[in-house]
Amino acid sequence: MEIELDTRGGPSNGPYFEDAEGFNMPEPPGNGSRRIPLGDFPTGPEVGSRLPDIVATDQTGRLVDVHADRAGQPAVVVFYRSAVW
Amino acid sequence: MDAYRTAGVRLYALSYDEPDALADYAEAHDTTFTMLSDPDSEVIGSFGILNTLIPPDDHPWYGLPFPGSYVINADGIIVAKFFEHNFAIRPGPEQLLAAALGTEFDVPELEQPPERVSVEVTIEGDSLPMGVTRHIVATFRVPEGQHVYSEPVPEGLVAAAIELDGNAGILSYEPVVPTTSPLTLSGSGDTLAVYEGDVVLRLPVAQNARNMQKDDNGRFVTISGRVRWQACDDAECFLPQSMPFSFRVEAGFPVLGDMGPGVGRVPAMNGARHFQRLIDRRAGTEPSAEDQ
Repeated sequence: MEIELDTRGGPSNGPYFEDAEGFNMPEPPGNGSRRIPLGDFPTGPEVGSRLPDIVATDQTGRLVDVHADRAGQPAVVVFYRSAVW
Repeated sequence: MDAYRTAGVRLYALSYDEPDALADYAEAHDTTFTMLSDPDSEVIGSFGILNTLIPPDDHPWYGLPFPGSYVINADGIIVAKFFEHNFAIRPGPEQLLAAALGTEFDVPELEQPPERVSVEVTIEGDSLPMGVTRHIVATFRVPEGQHVYSEPVPEGLVAAAIELDGNAGILSYEPVVPTTSPLTLSGSGDTLAVYEGDVVLRLPVAQNARNMQKDDNGRFVTISGRVRWQACDDAECFLPQSMPFSFRVEAGFPVLGDMGPGVGRVPAMNGARHFQRLIDRRAGTEPSAEDQ
């Protein structure tokens, strides 16, 4: 899949920039953390398939296997940018 | 989180942060859901959602996913997923929970069946925090034997739709609509897509941060527009209808990672220190243990 870079937007107030949807950002559109896709981009496994296994360390240092940990309950799994910035 | 716990739905949030950064965040914000650490983006890579627009030497951004959410049922099957091209926008938690519960949008029974189409418009939630979509919900009750149209319609007919006033401060997204039934017009033979019975249209909206007009010292925003529709039965079409709506809701901010200190800010989670580590670890310039 050819992923197109979204470079729409431009300068905003002060040292900031603004993307096409009006969100302020510290870098010009299409740079740094703001390398976001314009058109199609991969969204991973499809609806109807089994969620692939996830084994990762949680905030308490415990190793979590999502499918085992949820113990038969439905779940929401969010992939987000960062808890730090 | 209480709503998730009550509903028996688990919440996992995965990022490329180190576990101790997540621990600081969880402590600062009393987090009760499970935060998962994927510092080498192995899980992100295995899902095929690594942001490949970011070159590997671009620290500390390399390793980010194209952000999104998966909703799975009790069998672990993905029943819905939500991805936006702009990581400044994500669905509100109530939308994810509704998807997890497989909630069809319940429409209470009317005591008396309507003779004409009636419409009710609400906004889900009582706020529009930056970065989160909320749904404007239009519930049409279409009397038996009548229908309303879905987009697209030929000239002269009006499709059922939610329209916003021209407000540069409010973004709107692809409407969430029910499935339609085909209806073939006897005259032209054209087949149109129609809704019958109780119809719920949902329009996701979000703040356009800088452009948004707020009042009361920036604490509130007004979202206004109208719902349009045109009802027809087998014999004739009624005149197009329109009903205005206006919601004034709180325009809050979500919980953000805290890079503090700064004016009025509390450096609750050592954000700047963790950020430096994100850079150092990827650049291979991690200081030795005694420097930290």
